[in-house]
Amino acid sequence: MVDVTLPSLGESVTEGIITRWFKQVGDAVARDEPLLEVSTDKVDSELPSPAAGVLVQIIAEEGDTVETGSRVGVIDESATPSTPSSSAASAASPASAPAPTSTRAPAAPTSPVPGVAGLVLSPVVRRILADGLVEASSVRGTGPGGAITRRDAERAVALGPTEEVVVPFTHGQRRMGQHMAASALSAPHGYVAVEVDGAVFDRLDEAGRVTRDGVSVVDEVMVAVAAVRALGEFEFLNASVDGENLLVHRTVNIGFVRAAVDGMLVPVVHAAAGLTVRSLARRVADLEERVASRQLTADDLMGGTFTMVGPLSEHSLASVPLLIQPQVAVLSMGAVRREPVVVTDGGAPTLAVGRRLVLGLTFDHRVCEPYAAARYLERVATLLNGLNVESEL
Amino acid sequence: MAPEVQQFDVVIIGGGPGGYAAALYGAAAGLNVGLIERDKVGGTCLQRGCVPAKEFLETAHVRRTLEHASNFGINPGEVTVDFSVSQNRKNEVVDKLTKGLTGLLKGRKVTIFDGTARLDADQVVTVLDGADAGTVLKGTNVVLAAGSVPRTLPGFDIDGVKVVTSDEFLDLTSLPASAAVIGGGAIGCEFASMLSDMGTKVTILEFLPTILAGCDAEVVSVVQRSFKKRGIEVLTGVKATGHKVSTSGVAVSIEGAEDVKVDLVVMSVGRRPRTEGLLGEGTGVQIDERGFVVADSYMRTANPHVYAVGDVVAGTPQLAHVAFAEAIITIKMILGEAAVPVDYDRVPWAIYSNPEVAFCGLTEAGAKEKGYEVVVKKDPFGGNSRAQIIGETEGVVKIIAEKRADGSAGQILGVHMAGPWVTEQLGAGYFAVNWEATAEEAAALIQPHPSLSETFGETLIALAGRGLHVG
Repeated sequence: MVDVTLPSLGESVTEGIITRWFKQVGDAVARDEPLLEVSTDKVDSELPSPAAGVLVQIIAEEGDTVETGSRVGVIDESATPSTPSSSAASAASPASAPAPTSTRAPAAPTSPVPGVAGLVLSPVVRRILADGLVEASSVRGTGPGGAITRRDAERAVALGPTEEVVVPFTHGQRRMGQHMAASALSAPHGYVAVEVDGAVFDRLDEAGRVTRDGVSVVDEVMVAVAAVRALGEFEFLNASVDGENLLVHRTVNIGFVRAAVDGMLVPVVHAAAGLTVRSLARRVADLEERVASRQLTADDLMGGTFTMVGPLSEHSLASVPLLIQPQVAVLSMGAVRREPVVVTDGGAPTLAVGRRLVLGLTFDHRVCEPYAAARYLERVATLLNGLNVESEL
Repeated sequence: MAPEVQQFDVVIIGGGPGGYAAALYGAAAGLNVGLIERDKVGGTCLQRGCVPAKEFLETAHVRRTLEHASNFGINPGEVTVDFSVSQNRKNEVVDKLTKGLTGLLKGRKVTIFDGTARLDADQVVTVLDGADAGTVLKGTNVVLAAGSVPRTLPGFDIDGVKVVTSDEFLDLTSLPASAAVIGGGAIGCEFASMLSDMGTKVTILEFLPTILAGCDAEVVSVVQRSFKKRGIEVLTGVKATGHKVSTSGVAVSIEGAEDVKVDLVVMSVGRRPRTEGLLGEGTGVQIDERGFVVADSYMRTANPHVYAVGDVVAGTPQLAHVAFAEAIITIKMILGEAAVPVDYDRVPWAIYSNPEVAFCGLTEAGAKEKGYEVVVKKDPFGGNSRAQIIGETEGVVKIIAEKRADGSAGQILGVHMAGPWVTEQLGAGYFAVNWEATAEEAAALIQPHPSLSETFGETLIALAGRGLHVG
């Protein structure tokens, strides 16, 4: 027997909510196969199975809040699965996605009960609603337990097709929303953008865009290295507001904005000040892998002092991100474009094919003013184009 | 020394349909269940209710079949009845089912305690008597499923010999020459029908203006006609005030009328909840003035950790299948799963008299009382080929639908049946009512031919506007 325990989810995290078991009791599970999903106030993580065998007991059910280190399930390494087609069965489990629910208030009961509106639809009601292009989640049921009766369905159809449905926020959306709303309301945001030369990316192309470790180098990492180095001269941008004071951080922990399944994550590369393009590329690649496999811990998401937003799409020109609190600056960049550029190399100006990109800085107006922000961006551009690609890779 | 307290996820008081269903369903979900039963598991339904009663009714059915066998050219000779054999067979059937149920409960690791239980504060349950007297259990949640016992009338002394309730009736080893059945409800009509088919002269004494109160009038008249034809005397609107036992039998006094003299009196005037002594101090559970436990549609009592299911619950039909459904709701609530309450106005009802009665939803009178304008169609079993084949043509299917503005039949509100095997045929009607089908929607579906269920299908077709065979 092997106990499944809730591992540490980060230094500051002592508990997590079991949001989903991917296996049922009796199901076979391979070692490292995703076994359950845990949600904290920072991130949703998938936990891999610690052993191969059969899940014989679930101690912490979905919805339970569990302290790190406690037992949540038991795997029997010698048992045989009770259901041969268990993976198919569990894939079809209704817990797979949060379904839209209605805004219906529970009918009579004295205290809240799990909602049943839309849980059980009679075939008649289902057909009436489908024919009338009405979504069950938008209908207020008057039957037992809020069930939608034929009359409810007919009344809803008479009012016309569903114009809107209520979709509850996912965990990720709620986390993102709370943070961003707080940020927008708590700090006066300023923004400056500059368009700069991107000749360094020609040299990066020539060098093959791969480090000696075999990690490919994206444009964002090049800019991040320059941004981190420039912070040495603009320390007040690597800081946070603490009441009436500015806390200037001696360490640069740079966060990278990434899209999550249901929101946004900002995993952090800690102690980034001395990193070369090669080492930063490796650290970023490692974080991205864990974003994809949902193995990030709360520690990966904490302690950021400065944030980087890379090109959001192939043709992205610039973006104006909000600050990640309690930081005071976010550097954003558009895609690196090929453009006709005017070259004045020692003679009359001529046109050539060059590289251009837009760098933007969102800053906390209590800390920084636009001229300083522009100076910082110009400094980033200088350091970027001054990178010795050969030795950095 | 204070007794050790045994902790369970769920402690269930009562091992009848409500209690054992909660135990099985809860144990299937991995809950640790303790169940306390003062008798054998199975409750009234299995030990002294539905199951034994239906065994006797089947005995009566076999006798009827033999009586009509000569119509098929089969001559069994003189038919004699040894009721003690039927009694033994009934006991064997009950024993087998009890063993099966006990095995199921053990297989799911339900711990069964023998005795009568009392719930005290903090979900502590004490076994008061029986083999496990003194045992103390504590449940994270408790389910009250204490069931019910037969009611009786003032002036009557249940001696278990000449004056019996269903409890004693089902242990009879011989049948009386004559009997008075007091109370012409479902149970009373089943007993009357069975006794009559076995050769007893039966008188039904009903206080209300009609027997089978609550059933549709058309269905009642089918039963009434059949009873009359078979010599069952049905006296309605009469008040039985008491009885006198003599060597020659029992005389039942009737207010304002002559005594009814019989060999046996069967009291079937309903059942009352068995809640006396069930609750100690501080449980927070509410009991109504008639002794029923008050629970909401999710079976929750006023104590959030105590649920109630089955016959003890106030205002719900006393039916085993309703108790099953309530048990499932209770366990889902305990597990925090979404549960759908029972729609008590649309549960299936089955009465196993000859002819059988089965229904679901509103009666014609009930629908009108609720303010519906209705369209009604009925089709007798007489024209049904299968009914002719089996030689049981008594009966009718009646369907009540809401009348639409254009006069056509809309949603089906009630399905009522009397006749051969209708308890087995109600399923389709039950779905039609609960799925809120209209006449056309249900009529578009096919019934097999030749079958008794075609009568239901024919009635639907007629209700949808134009009859095929009937109309």
